[in-house]
Formats: sequence, C-alpha cells, structure tokens
Amino acid sequence: MPLISIVLRNVWKKKARSLGLALAIAFAVMTVVTLSVVGNGLETSATAILKVGKADFTIVQKGVPDILNSTIDESTLVRIEKTPGVKSAVGVLVETQKINASNPVFIEVGIPPEDLTPFGVTILSGHPYSPDATNQVMLGWRAAQNFGLHVGSSFVANGTTNTVVGIFSTGNSFGDDAAMFPLPALQGYNRVPGVVTMVFVKVDHGASIPSVEHSISYAMPELSTIRTAAQFGREDLTLVFVKAAATGSAILAVVIGAIIVGNTMLLSLFERTKEFGLLRAIGWTRTEVLALVMGEGLLLAVVGAGVGVGLSFGAASLLERLPELVGVLHVRFSQDAFWRGLLTALVMTLLGTIYPALRAAFRSPLDALGHE
Amino acid sequence: MSDAPHIHRTGGPAAASALADGPPNDGPSLAGAPDNDQAAAGLAVEVRDVVKVYADGGIRALDGVDLEVRRSEFVAITGPSGCGKSTLLHLMAALDRPTSGTVKVNGRDLREIRNLSQFRREEVGLVFQLHNLLPQLSAVENVEIAMPWSPRHSRSRAERARQLLAEMQLAGAERRQPSQLSGGERQRVAIARALANEPGVLLADEPTGSLDSASVDRFLQMLGRLREDHSTTIVLVTHDMAVAAAADRTVHMRDGRVVDAPPGA
Ligand SMILES: Nc1ncnc2c1ncn2[C@@H]1O[C@H](COP(=O)(O)OP(=O)(O)OP(=O)(O)O)[C@@H](O)[C@H]1O
Ligand SMILES: [Mg+2]
Repeated sequence: MPLISIVLRNVWKKKARSLGLALAIAFAVMTVVTLSVVGNGLETSATAILKVGKADFTIVQKGVPDILNSTIDESTLVRIEKTPGVKSAVGVLVETQKINASNPVFIEVGIPPEDLTPFGVTILSGHPYSPDATNQVMLGWRAAQNFGLHVGSSFVANGTTNTVVGIFSTGNSFGDDAAMFPLPALQGYNRVPGVVTMVFVKVDHGASIPSVEHSISYAMPELSTIRTAAQFGREDLTLVFVKAAATGSAILAVVIGAIIVGNTMLLSLFERTKEFGLLRAIGWTRTEVLALVMGEGLLLAVVGAGVGVGLSFGAASLLERLPELVGVLHVRFSQDAFWRGLLTALVMTLLGTIYPALRAAFRSPLDALGHE
Repeated sequence: MSDAPHIHRTGGPAAASALADGPPNDGPSLAGAPDNDQAAAGLAVEVRDVVKVYADGGIRALDGVDLEVRRSEFVAITGPSGCGKSTLLHLMAALDRPTSGTVKVNGRDLREIRNLSQFRREEVGLVFQLHNLLPQLSAVENVEIAMPWSPRHSRSRAERARQLLAEMQLAGAERRQPSQLSGGERQRVAIARALANEPGVLLADEPTGSLDSASVDRFLQMLGRLREDHSTTIVLVTHDMAVAAAADRTVHMRDGRVVDAPPGA
C-alpha cells in the first residue's frame, strides 16, 4: 500500500479533525486572498487613472490623502509646459459623481478635445466634443453599455442634460467606465475654474525623464511626480493605510491559523504516539514517519487552500456589493491570488506540522509505544 | 485433529509460496560481515551477560542474562510478570539497547548496525503483547504496512498480505478494521504482519494471550510449518504451558535472570 493511500486513509478516517484543520486553513487563506485582491482592487482603481494617460510621468499635488483631492492651477500647468525637456503636458480634472445606487462613484474626466489622442483615447463611434461645449459628453464603452446609451442619447449628469457625442475606449477598464467632458464644462460643474487634478507629461525625444522630473519638483516643490503605479500607491495615503491594514490582518490571520493548525496537529499526533511507535518498531524509518505526517498536513493544506480561495471569491464579491464600495472596488481574481492562497496554506501547515512531525519521527519506538 | 483438513486447504502451496522464494537464512544479509564463529555455530540469537537498568527508579529489569538460540530453534520464555521477558525480547528486536552486555542476531552485534529500520523490517518479525494494529487501517493494510514501499509491487504486496491472513485463518476478514475483529483475530493479524518480510527470527510477546485452545493449536501448527518451510527461528514469551510444551526448549526467567527450573517447581 503506497504511502499516499495511508495518508488519504488517515485523513479520511478522522473526518472531524480533518474538517476542522482544513477549515482553519481555509479561513486563513480566505482572509489573505480576499484582503490581497481587495487591496489590489483598490490600488488598481486608483492607479488606473494613471494608466489611462499615456505619459512618461504624472504630476499631482504633494501630500494629499486621496489622489483625487489633488489640485493644480492651470498657471502651474503652463509653468510645467515651459520646463525644458517637456514635450507635452496634459492637465486633466478628475471628479466623481453619484449617478445612481449602483454607480455611486462614477468617474468624470475633464480634458480638452485636442489632448484626447495624446492622452491615449480612441474614439469608437461618434466624434469628440467641441472645446467649450457645455452640454456634450463622451462615454467610455463600458459606461455606455452599463447605462444602455449610444451616440445621440442624453446623459444626465451634474444637473445638466448632455448629449452623448462619442463613445471611446482607453484600453483600460477604469477609463472605459468613465465619462469625459470638455475641461471648462467640468470645472464649471464642480466650481473649480482653472484647476486640474493631475498633469500627464511627455518628455522630448532624447531628454532624460528623471532629470525633467527633478527640475519640475525643484521649481515647484508643492508638486510630486509619479512614474510607476507602485509609486502612486505610496503617494496615496488612503491607499497606504488600506494596504497596511490589509497586510496586518493577513499576517494575523496566518498566525492564528498556524496556531490552530499546530495545536490541533499536536493534540492529534500526541494521541497517535503509539501508532508512530508501532510503525517505527516494524521497520519504518524516521523519514517515512515524517513523510506520513507531513503528507497528511500537505493534503489538508491543498484542500484548505482550494476551499479558502473559493470562499474568498464569495467574500470579495460580497464586499464589491457593499453600498460603500460599489464602483470603488473592482476585484479581479488573478492566478496570483490562487498561488498566494496555496502558499499561505503551505506555510501555515508547515509551521503547524513540522514540530509534531519531528517529534513523532524522533521519539524512540518503545518510548512511543509505552512500555509493554 | 478435527480441523486439520481446513488448515491444509488454506495453508497449502499457495501460502508456502507466499512466505518465501528461497531459503530465508541464505538470503543477502545487511551490511557488515557476520561474526563467522557464531554463524558457523548456527546461532540466530546470542545474548551475553546482558544487563538492562531503567534509569528512572533504578530498576534492574535484566540482571546478567545469557541466552543462545540456534537457527530454526523454537524457544519459549516463561516467568512471572515483571521478570524481564518483554525487555529481553525488545533488546533482540533492536528496539532498545542493553545497559551492558551484547546482543547478536544472525551473527551481527546490534550495536554495530547502522540501519536499524532495515534490520527491524527485514531481519526480525515482532509481535507485541498489546497495541499491535493501527485502528484506522483494515486487517490486510495492517499487514501491508510492514512491507517495504514500492508502488510497482503494490499489487503483489496486497496479494501476499491476503495469503498471510489466509494462513492465519483470516480469509474473508481482510477488509475489516481492528475494532471489528476479536482479540484473538487481532493477534493473528499481528502475527501475519510479523511474517510479512520472511524474517529469519520471529519474536513474539504472548502471541496466544487472547487465543482459545483451538486457535492456539492452529497457531502452533503454523509455527511448525514456518520452521519446516523456512527454517524460521522462533523466540516466544508465553504463560501458556501448551505453547511452552510445543517448543524445543523452555527458558525460565526470574528477577531479570535466566534460572534452571520454573519458579516454585
Ligand atoms: N520503561 C521502563 N522504565 C522503568 N521500568 C521499566 C520500564 N519497562 C519495564 N520496566 C520494569 O522492568 C521490569 C521488567 O519488565 P518487563 O516488561 O520486561 O516484564 P515482563 O516479564 O514482560 O512482564 P509481563 O509478563 O507482565 O509482561 C518490570 O519491573 C518493569 O516494571
Ligand atoms: Mg511483558
């Protein structure tokens, strides 16, 4: 009988114990996976603004808790444009608005029509709005689909009725879920004339990005420049706190899980001391006993990881539907999440099993059998 | 005996072939050259001046034991409870080390054996006084766990385990769990397991403790066949006078020593 079938048998025979262990593992895996996809989901949502604009780097106001609170004057925009090495600087206003219950944080981008192409926007149907129009809007194709609108439809937003003049794509789900307005119109609706949220900068051919970044932040210390999504995550304090909280809870979940697994394993292996003594007495090597115990743990880890990842799908989609998070959180499960779950389960099980397993393997057989 | 034909049917050629494909004692032995004098003398077990003191409490469980068992000899060990019988058997099975003195099995000093697991698996078969079976495994699986791993041989292993059980009159009970077996049946499963690797030496601690007299008879006949077919050496601890009488020789123990006559005789 191969080792694996004894492993299966042992796990199956002690159903209650195995179930308890698998659930403890699954719970920790669920926590870790859910928190990490939610953390990533939030990050993707916020960072996605960056990815919409095709730029060498982006400029926001320094020290704002939420990136969307950043404000930059159009006069500053002009100074940025004039910085040596800057080829183009596109100022964009990003606002959010509640459209309806299922779209409480709808993203609206104010951008001049001539900047659409450099910004990376492709018109799928219709045409761009005119620069100073006050009742024209373009919808991302996802938003259009979501609202059931097309070119020529009316879209009520900011207390005005706008005609949908074009449908666009940004190649980015965040951008495709948004609407775009002429910059002055959106500034007017939000009573922030002459203000943009962020500036997307492209440098001259041959210019060094870091040195252009440096001369901008030197000349305008109230700004910070961002090149990568990760850097953006660091700039956005809310996101930093969310991620720190998520990491902390995940570590806590793994520690609690490992303690539960370790404790249960220790108790159940203690109960089975005689069994291991007998196996050693009839010729099993330490390695074989170790393999048996670790094998049982491994099986539970894999089952627990599977269940945990499954549960985290449910948990994440529940979170996505929370009224507070609708539209903010876009959870995308990646293969990464699965591997992370499996790794969590394995590390936990290893931590919980290694000591009892070594104890079982290295105890003298007679001692283990209890003297007879 | 009334059930002799029954034994012949189940313990026939099939069972014999299950036990060996060749003379077990001529098989390749483990690393380390046997002591030639002892091998020549045909000793399967040699115990010399063995003392075993249990540290906790300073109990002298064995107090200078000398014992020689020839190849294919059947020796019964008797003596009052606590006189050191199990302790002696465990030393022969390399489950423990003597405080002083030497124990040799098949000519090899147990202190010099590096791979004790291999020795326990291949050279000796052990039947304990208690706690012999894993409760979560079936009878046939409890026999199989004594055989070396090898996925290739998993079929023949199971087949062999079934034959050994049949030899122990347990045909039909293979898939039962220990909790579904009587005490005597459990002990017979343990005996089948002890024989799984055709050990040269079978060490059994009260193997007939929970057997009725008919089962004891069958057990003794099985031992007889084992010796005829495989020259197996048998060292058996027993309180049962019928079992002791079937042995070639009975060794009496008292207070950790081998004595000439049974106590009180
Ligand atoms: N691990 C141990 N620690 C301390 N004392 C022990 C230990 N094992 C056995 N003893 C003692 O050693 C002596 C011999 O024990 P052993 O088990 O060999 O007796 P036995 O002859 O097999 O008895 P029984 O017929 O009751 O099985 C006893 O006095 C026992 O209490
Ligand atoms: Mg005893």
